[in-house]
Formats: sequence, structure tokens, C-alpha cells
Amino acid sequence: MTDLANRKWYTGMLTQEDWWAVWLGVGFFFLSLFNIVGIDLVGWMTYPTKWVLNVPEGGKGAIGHAFYALGKKYSVTAKGFYKGLGWWSVIWTYVGFTIATCLGAFFMKWNMKRFFVGWTIIYFLTIATWFVGHHAFIAANKINMHKYGLNFALNLGGGGSFILALIVGLIIGNFFKPFAQFLSEAAKPEWYIKTAIVTLGVKLGYLPIKLAGMSQKLGKQAAGITFDLFVAGAAATIVAYMIFWPGVYIISRKIFKLPRATAAVLGSGISICGVSAAVATGGAVKAKPVVSIMVSALVVVWAVIELIILPGVFTHIWPGTKDPLVAGAAMGMSVKTDGADAAAGELLDEFMRNKVEVESNGAIKWPEGLITSSAVMTKVWIDMFIGIWAFVLALIWCYKIECKPGEKVPASEVWHRFPKFVIGYFFCWFFLLAIYFGPGQGGAPEAMPFLKTVKAGAVPVEKGMRKLFFMLTFISLGIITDFKKLREAQFGKMVWVYFVALFFFIIPVAMVIAYLFHHGMMPPNIAEFVVK
Amino acid sequence: MEFTIRHDGREWILENEEAVLSSPTMDGLDQKVREYIHEKGLLRAGEKLEVKMYFQNSTIPQWIRQYSQHYFNRILVVEG
Repeated sequence: MTDLANRKWYTGMLTQEDWWAVWLGVGFFFLSLFNIVGIDLVGWMTYPTKWVLNVPEGGKGAIGHAFYALGKKYSVTAKGFYKGLGWWSVIWTYVGFTIATCLGAFFMKWNMKRFFVGWTIIYFLTIATWFVGHHAFIAANKINMHKYGLNFALNLGGGGSFILALIVGLIIGNFFKPFAQFLSEAAKPEWYIKTAIVTLGVKLGYLPIKLAGMSQKLGKQAAGITFDLFVAGAAATIVAYMIFWPGVYIISRKIFKLPRATAAVLGSGISICGVSAAVATGGAVKAKPVVSIMVSALVVVWAVIELIILPGVFTHIWPGTKDPLVAGAAMGMSVKTDGADAAAGELLDEFMRNKVEVESNGAIKWPEGLITSSAVMTKVWIDMFIGIWAFVLALIWCYKIECKPGEKVPASEVWHRFPKFVIGYFFCWFFLLAIYFGPGQGGAPEAMPFLKTVKAGAVPVEKGMRKLFFMLTFISLGIITDFKKLREAQFGKMVWVYFVALFFFIIPVAMVIAYLFHHGMMPPNIAEFVVK
Repeated sequence: MEFTIRHDGREWILENEEAVLSSPTMDGLDQKVREYIHEKGLLRAGEKLEVKMYFQNSTIPQWIRQYSQHYFNRILVVEG
């Protein structure tokens, strides 16, 4: 019979995107660890820097340096070599990640030719957008714009590139539909974001190492705050579950009079974790696949609308820079796909750090990535709960609501629905923490030369690879988001349930819960250690 | 006994090398499975047979499979 009949616990390890996010993230993470023995295999990863066409005298921003290999700054053993790469690092990065992603596409049995061509177009579109987004007019702020000879800048930091990438993707997805269709083989926001989330695990584990380079106390503070996020994220998620799902289910049933199965699928799609939950719940309650498909289409479109609105609202209206991690956690509970949530978290991170630096006139600087982590942490917990929730719902449906004589619910469903990329995320995080507390001696000065070699490998992965995959996510999200789907008649009521539930129930409740569990947690200030 | 299960927009369809069974509702489908097993004499009195139904994921569009590659599998226990 089919492969499904012989399904084992390890089924899908070579054929599912979830697992390929793990192989890509963990694979490059392991390559990065070769730095410990003096071999730098990841320093070629490219990264953009702010640029201007006319560099002021004594200023910064030469276009020739707009992209550089991260090994130029961080490598311990091959700095000279990577310094010479400059813009060529873009091609090295293309070759490196093309091999890796094509390997994944091959094992996942995708159309290789279409994937390769689509990937190549998306990659170079991403690079072009990244480049434009780093023009100092877009990316600089009032603290550093004078170095580029500017009297005004948009203050968007790296967030400008993300917004541009989304706009480029949306233009393709909505105005060049045949082209978007052609690119769809390689426009995989979920794969890219799951890979980025695995590398975010590297970021979390690396944070104490990075801050230990500034002061040992800061390093320990960073390790502490990542654990706090871990615990607070779990607690907030459980509470949110208890409130969100029944709330949306009741709104769907009582106000909008939707059928039970549709209300259940919609309840999970809106309140829990978007498409994955909608599909999982659809399966659990044995809804016709079309219900899950319709809800999924809604989830994707609404998540992108949230991604456009919420980072700005959370930064400039409430909670602002007073409670940045509350904003991150609320984002994780409000935005309903991993891709849009992590992308919104990253935008929020850029906006918040930029805002606090400008507000304090440079006296406060937060390390990048913590606010993104707070957004992703709640989402990761939610993802892990999906399998359990789908199983519980299947039991309730099977034994209570629609009792079918003789039907059993296989417990293996929980594992098959477990988001495997989470394993890569936690693995990288805890592996680096073990290095930090083990041979790194908790950031003791005598261990710093060793930790510097770890840093040389970690930075290209947590910075270069992570940001690149975020950019790929933004552009791919745009490509697969067709706003016309909202206008299609058959959605009718569901669009309104989604709107009402999201803006008048989910987001306000998420903000309250995030406040209860994250209020008072602040990223450490690293301003005095950062070279201006 | 094992089947793949899918939905064509109107009916649930069970399929294996020996049979194709379909019904607009899951209950109707289960009933057809019972009838099929009894007609074929696959079960003696007092025995139990597990019918495993594996969801055919190609029913779900490719763009959704990136979010969740698993819809559902179910087991029906038929008694003789």
C-alpha cells in the first residue's frame, strides 16, 4: 500500500519541510562549530550594510562595501580571505544555499528545474531588495545619519528591507499572478521561516556569549532572560489557549451561526496557530478538506495584514519601548502563521531598538534578536501544543460530539503533528548554552579566547543566514498572498468572524496575557559597550 | 485491513487494491465498510477487525502542505 501504511516515528525525516528546516539550520550550525578547531567554513555568508551614492568626506557607506562576508569581521582564522570577498560573498552565499535547498527539494520530490529557477529568481530579488532597503536614507536613524552625509532618514533600521521585500512579493503575488504561480515552487515561507527559527536557536544560545564579551555579568543576565522568556512564553500560551479557543468557537456558533465543524476549524485557525492548526483541527473533527483549505487561505491573508499593522502599533501606540518583550509575546499570540509572526517579531525588533536608541539619544541600546525571540517563543509553544490540541479535540469529537461506533483515535497523531523544526531550535540553543556554561566557564575572562572561536562561527549563522531566510520569508509570503481571496464570495461570513474575533478578541486578550506574564522583563542595555 | 481515504468535494472515498467505497458522510462510509466486510466474509462471529484509513494528502493543495503535511488517519473497529 502507500507509504502512509508503513508510517514509523521517523517517517518524513527526508521528505518533509519541517525536517529539512532542521537539517539546514543544524547542518550549518555544525559547520560553524569547526571554528573551534580553527577551520572557518561559514565566514562567506553575506550581509548588507548601509550605503549612499555619495560618501561624505571622512564618512561611511561606500557602495562597494554594501555587501560583505561576515568572516571579514568575525573570523579568527580566515579574516584576510573573507575580507577580499566583498560583493562576491553574494555569489558564495547563493552557491552555498542553492546546494543546500536544492538537496532538500530533491529529497522532498519537488520539481527540481522549477525550484532551481524559482529559487534563483527569489534569491536575487531578495538580495536586490536587501540592498535597496539598506540605503542610508531608509535604514539610518538620526543618531548615525550624519555619517552618511544625510540630514534626514526614515529611521527604519533593517525593518525597511523587510517591508520592501513584502511589498515586492505582494506586487508579484497580486499583479503578476502567472509569474507568482511559476515562482510558487520555490516561494515557501514556512520552510524558510522554520529554518530561520532554528537559527534563532543559535541566536538565543549565542546571546550570553556575545554579551560575555562585553562583561561577564551581562552574559549571565542574557542567559537568565532567555530562560525567563522560555517559562513566561509557556505559561502565557497555556492561558491564551484556555481563553482563545472557546471564545472564537462561541463567536462563530452563537453570533455567526456557523456549523460545529466549521466553527471548530475556524476556532483553531484564528485562535491558535493559523494554517497548521486549521488543518490539524480539520483532520481531528473530520471536516471536509475544503473547510480547512478555506480557513487556511483566510489565515494566510489576515496574518499578512497583521504583519503590516501590528509592529507599528505595538511600537508607537502601546506598549511601546516601555515593555518591548510584552509587545513581542503579544505578537506571538496574535499573528497566526509562523512566517508572518516571526517576520512581524523581527520588524518589531528593528523598530523598537531603533526607537529606544533615538529616544534616549544613544544612551540605550538593546541587543538585537531578544524581541524577535519573545515573539517566536510564544509561537513555538503554540506550535508544540497543536499536536496535543488536535489529539484532544479528536478524542472529544470521536467520543462525545459525533460518536461513531468502533472509531479509535491513534495516539501517534500527537507525534506526527509535532512541529519537528522546534527540535532544531531547542537543540542549537541548548548546545550553545552547554558550551557557554561548560568549556566557556560562564563567560569567565580566561575562557574568552575559546568563546571567540565559537562566536566566529555563530555570527554568520545567527546573523547572515537568519536574516537572509527572514528576507526570503517576507518576499515568499508576499508572493503567495493573494488579497483577492478575501473577496471570493464563498468566504462571506468567515471573513467577518475572522475580523471580529481577531481585532476585538484575540489581539486585546493577547496583549493582556502578554502583559501579565512579561511585564517588567527588559532587554539588557549594551550602549556603553557598543562602539559608536 | 487498510485503505486510503480522500474527499473529492462531494464524497468521502475509501480505496485499496480490492475495493473502492464512497459516501457523502463519514457515517455512511463506515456503514459501507461494515457491509463490505460482512459480504466478503472477512470476519467471523466474535472476532474484531481493525480497518485503518490513511488520509491521501494529495487531496490538500500543495501550498497548504507546507504548513501541515498531515490531515488525519483513523481506525475503525468492526465486530463480527
